[in-house]
Amino acid sequence: MNFFSLSFLLMLAGSLLLYYVVPLRLRWYVLLGVSLGFYLLGGVSAGLFLLFTAGTNYAGGLVLSRLNAKRASIPAERKKEEEQRIKSHKRWVLILDLLLNFGLLFMVKYWNFTVQSLSGLVGALPTVDWIMPVGLSFYMFQSVGYVVDCYRGKYAAEKNFLKFSLFVSFFPQMVQGPISRFDQLQPQLIQGHKWNADHVKYGIQLALWGYLKRMLLADRAAVVVNAIFDAPEQYGGFFYAFGVLFYCIQLYCDFSGGIDITRGVAQMFGIDLAENFRRPFYATSLADYWRRWHITLGSWMRDYVFYPLSFSKPFAKLGRWARKHFKGKVGKVIPTAAATFVVYLIIGIWHGANFRYIAYGFYNGIILTSSVLLAGTYAKWKKALHIRDKSPFFTLFCILRTTAIVFVGRYITRAPRLLLGLQMLRKTLTSPCLYQLGDGTIWNLGLSLTDYLVVALGFLAMLCLEWKQEKGTEIRKTLERKHPFVQWLWLFLPLVLLCIFGIFRDSGIQVEFIYQQF
Amino acid sequence: MKEKLLAILSEACPEVDFETETALIDDGLLESLDIVMIVTEIMQEFGVELTVDDLLPENFNSVDVLLALIESRTA
Repeated sequence: MNFFSLSFLLMLAGSLLLYYVVPLRLRWYVLLGVSLGFYLLGGVSAGLFLLFTAGTNYAGGLVLSRLNAKRASIPAERKKEEEQRIKSHKRWVLILDLLLNFGLLFMVKYWNFTVQSLSGLVGALPTVDWIMPVGLSFYMFQSVGYVVDCYRGKYAAEKNFLKFSLFVSFFPQMVQGPISRFDQLQPQLIQGHKWNADHVKYGIQLALWGYLKRMLLADRAAVVVNAIFDAPEQYGGFFYAFGVLFYCIQLYCDFSGGIDITRGVAQMFGIDLAENFRRPFYATSLADYWRRWHITLGSWMRDYVFYPLSFSKPFAKLGRWARKHFKGKVGKVIPTAAATFVVYLIIGIWHGANFRYIAYGFYNGIILTSSVLLAGTYAKWKKALHIRDKSPFFTLFCILRTTAIVFVGRYITRAPRLLLGLQMLRKTLTSPCLYQLGDGTIWNLGLSLTDYLVVALGFLAMLCLEWKQEKGTEIRKTLERKHPFVQWLWLFLPLVLLCIFGIFRDSGIQVEFIYQQF
Repeated sequence: MKEKLLAILSEACPEVDFETETALIDDGLLESLDIVMIVTEIMQEFGVELTVDDLLPENFNSVDVLLALIESRTA
């Protein structure tokens, strides 16, 4: 079942009806039943992966919580030795949990790639033919985050396995996140929500906006992207850039559109899921871009990788070494820069088992690390050139510079192979073949003039709306102040647009999201 | 002690007015990179042990709460 099927819409309508008619205290059972049903339709093996993740992390959280309680009740006279013992037990429980979960993820996602990459060194090792279930890395990260929080004593573990299973499997976020936090999501899931017409209205609006982004823009942009990247030998450098531009539109509208549908569906049940995007096209630096793009993965990496790594013993040692060998700020920022590099390398690898993603991690890591190391130099340049940080021209320059950096990175991730991606980038700069602009190539990419206009105008309209949001306008609140007729018009406008321009390919709708594979 | 802390904070983020700001994290004035650099510097300068568990917004929103955190570790 997918977000674009009639069966999903019928299931959603049925679950909403059931959710709001059963007593408040039983409403979470409806969510659990629907979530498990939604996921199990993906096959028995998908269900087993889910059960494994829920089971190991439920048990891990429970044991850690008990150890925390035990630690709190140690009598003062035995505090020191007992505390050490419990601390060590906790560490082993956490390590075991991480090994089990990330071990499984490694086997499913990275084992075959590792075996093939190392075959020259270690000889032939057996490969596995497990199919990665939808959303595995999303719900696994979410569950592992819960266990780490239990380890840190942030909250007590959930004792009810069914309630915990709902946290792991809440159906709207099973496809591509967002990666939620237990203390923010769980109370909302368990507490029954009373019927609220506004919640349902807002949810429908948000979901429709998501469908619109995906079906009007992403699906059209995908046609151009596939045409160019499936047969790059037919095109010159300009069209490679054209393809990457369309890929940027496709990726954003596909992922953020899917997340809008997810959050909209959750909102219909009165549940607020974490924001995953905050207008990334207006980012003023690469670090800012990553704070706006896939926010929940970034904050997960910050809390569970970057901070622990930065304060780990090896990094403290690195810090002492750096201070000794480098004077001034450089010596102080080296450990932070190194931790930043590792985090972005992991983010690259998280996207998939492929040298392209590893290179993408390096690319981001190197730029972010150098910006940390060179921050002082940049500040001096700005002072010498009398540049004000908040001047509109400098902001525009920063936005364009960030866009260019992100744009180059997309060559690496979208090209079929890493080296080909780099060659395409080189040809964009050295051999644009501008004559192709006038020989009708653009009309052979699979889109008509109307389709190009839909993408161009739709994308511009989206950028304008996001600009207003960037400047502090709350679109929803602005709409609330309008006449009810205008509000309904805004609700039906996406529907009308979807009906006219939504499904435009003969083959129907592409049901999978790009981030689903990650 | 407060002057020393203000010097550390200002060196990490010269553009922020630490004397008056009371929502450094909530308003996004301090980011994760800044926090790590500030904490590392604090541990070095004040000889205190801070851990990942201390990295909560309520410990970093103003110079006063940060000072209170350091004092609680030096006591």
